[in-house]
Amino acid sequence: MSIGRDEVLHVARLAELAVRDEDLNRLVDQLNRIVDYVAQLDRVPADGAADLFLPGPRQVELREDVPGSVPLARPPAELSPEFADGFFLVPRHGAMEDL
Amino acid sequence: MSAPAVAAATGARLVAAEASSLNATLHWSQALLDAEARRVEASPGGPLHAVPVAIKDNIVTTDAPTTCASRILEGYVSPYDATAVTRLRSAGAMIAAKTNMDEFAMGSSTEHSAFGRVQHPLDPSRVPGGSSGGSAALVAAGVVPAALGSETGGSVRQPASFCGVVGVKPSYGRVSRFGLVAFGSSLDCISVFGRTVDDASKVLAAMSGHDPLDRTTLERPAMVPPAPRRDLSGLRIGLPREYFPADLHPGVAAAMERTKTAARELGAELVDVSLPNSPYAVPTYYIVAPAEAAANLARFDGVRYGPRKVGPGGDIRALYQATRGHGFGPEVQRRILVGTYVLSAGYYDAYYGKAQRMRARIAEDFRRVFAGGVDLLLTPTTPTPAFRAGEKTEDPVSMYLADIFVCAISLAGLPALSLPVGRTEGLPVGAQLIAPLLEDERMLAAAAALERVVAAEAEVR
Repeated sequence: MSIGRDEVLHVARLAELAVRDEDLNRLVDQLNRIVDYVAQLDRVPADGAADLFLPGPRQVELREDVPGSVPLARPPAELSPEFADGFFLVPRHGAMEDL
Repeated sequence: MSAPAVAAATGARLVAAEASSLNATLHWSQALLDAEARRVEASPGGPLHAVPVAIKDNIVTTDAPTTCASRILEGYVSPYDATAVTRLRSAGAMIAAKTNMDEFAMGSSTEHSAFGRVQHPLDPSRVPGGSSGGSAALVAAGVVPAALGSETGGSVRQPASFCGVVGVKPSYGRVSRFGLVAFGSSLDCISVFGRTVDDASKVLAAMSGHDPLDRTTLERPAMVPPAPRRDLSGLRIGLPREYFPADLHPGVAAAMERTKTAARELGAELVDVSLPNSPYAVPTYYIVAPAEAAANLARFDGVRYGPRKVGPGGDIRALYQATRGHGFGPEVQRRILVGTYVLSAGYYDAYYGKAQRMRARIAEDFRRVFAGGVDLLLTPTTPTPAFRAGEKTEDPVSMYLADIFVCAISLAGLPALSLPVGRTEGLPVGAQLIAPLLEDERMLAAAAALERVVAAEAEVR
């Protein structure tokens, strides 16, 4: 399987990653080598019997959806570039298009 | 030695390490070390009283930056401490430094740090392994007796082998990851380097146990450092044939022969076993881990984390893309792209689904061998000793193969460690012991017995 420049750019858009033009050819080459390498799993006969495996507790249960107490070393206002009236301020969707 | 004296001596060694261009630390200060000493003096005692421990820079602390060796987190200071850090402090340890690493723990050589590569402490032209190379190098250079790293696919055992120190990965779920910056959540384990098995065991024990802040920790009490075994009598140790290929580096092969002889002389029964799916561990890992990384690293977008860069067009997606394109280094970008690709429409089952099924088969191989009466497994940790800097940076697949003997264990969630067992051409060689799930103590006790008899610093012939 071969991944072309357009497909790398498409995946980069899905990943919200700007790729510089000068890096694109190298990325195309390296991604093809990586994907060709991992594709060796295709040669393994599928037995269809294997269940999914995850380590850790048999069942990870969600905790109660109540505010927890993570002790913070600094107040919330110091955690963000902008904070007002108890809220973190972030760029508004569409706001920058209006500029 | 009093805590202030330990702080002063540790600071002097850190200064000397910096002067030697080891580049193993990202943040430390004598003022912070002195503050740690005052805290320890105010509540003396504890199993790690006044022991200086270095911390990989992907484990958060409130009094120093946590950057994951990435420009995208440059200057970030966490508002809370990792549970592992809190527990080490409760046990009397002093946090000595935050250590250099491959960016976001992605790499096998600690060359992928935004703040420069870490040098091998015995040969500056070589790599210390990775991704926890800074922690491994600091312990190997004698700066600290123990350090924390993190494992996703061998990132403590592999550098421990390259640097000639002990590196222990616990069973998945025995140590809280609260405060460990997530890479591959079904794989990540905070792990330990020590000069000796005993050093590493004490640090691991102090951190272990259930944590309500991490729902993936197991409901088990904290570990107790095991008493070292006098010998290995009564133990059946399996030698999986897939981990002893014909093209194994001759120095590594010779060191393993010596280790097998030592184990037999200590009374162990060595038996040939097979883990037929382990050869597929690296391709499986390099689908599963990037897929999880692509999801976990989505939060570094210039809004939730990271210095904002405004991209062309000036909209919110341009901000995300410019911030991430500028802030992530080449290896992190590669893995995010691979992870996004294997999860994308049309490819999910061909790659991710297949890798998940292979992961189950790899884990089942281990379960079957242990259920068949084998107590531990013994393998080389790495196929070669430390390689030269720059040797593999342009060929990602070649770099990934440095993890060929460590990946499968991570996929199966098992405990494993690397023990220094000799040197070839002056470079350390590590042997890997692997235990069944939750048999960490059995593995540590056996390793301590082997440690007493293998001449870790002697050249193998």
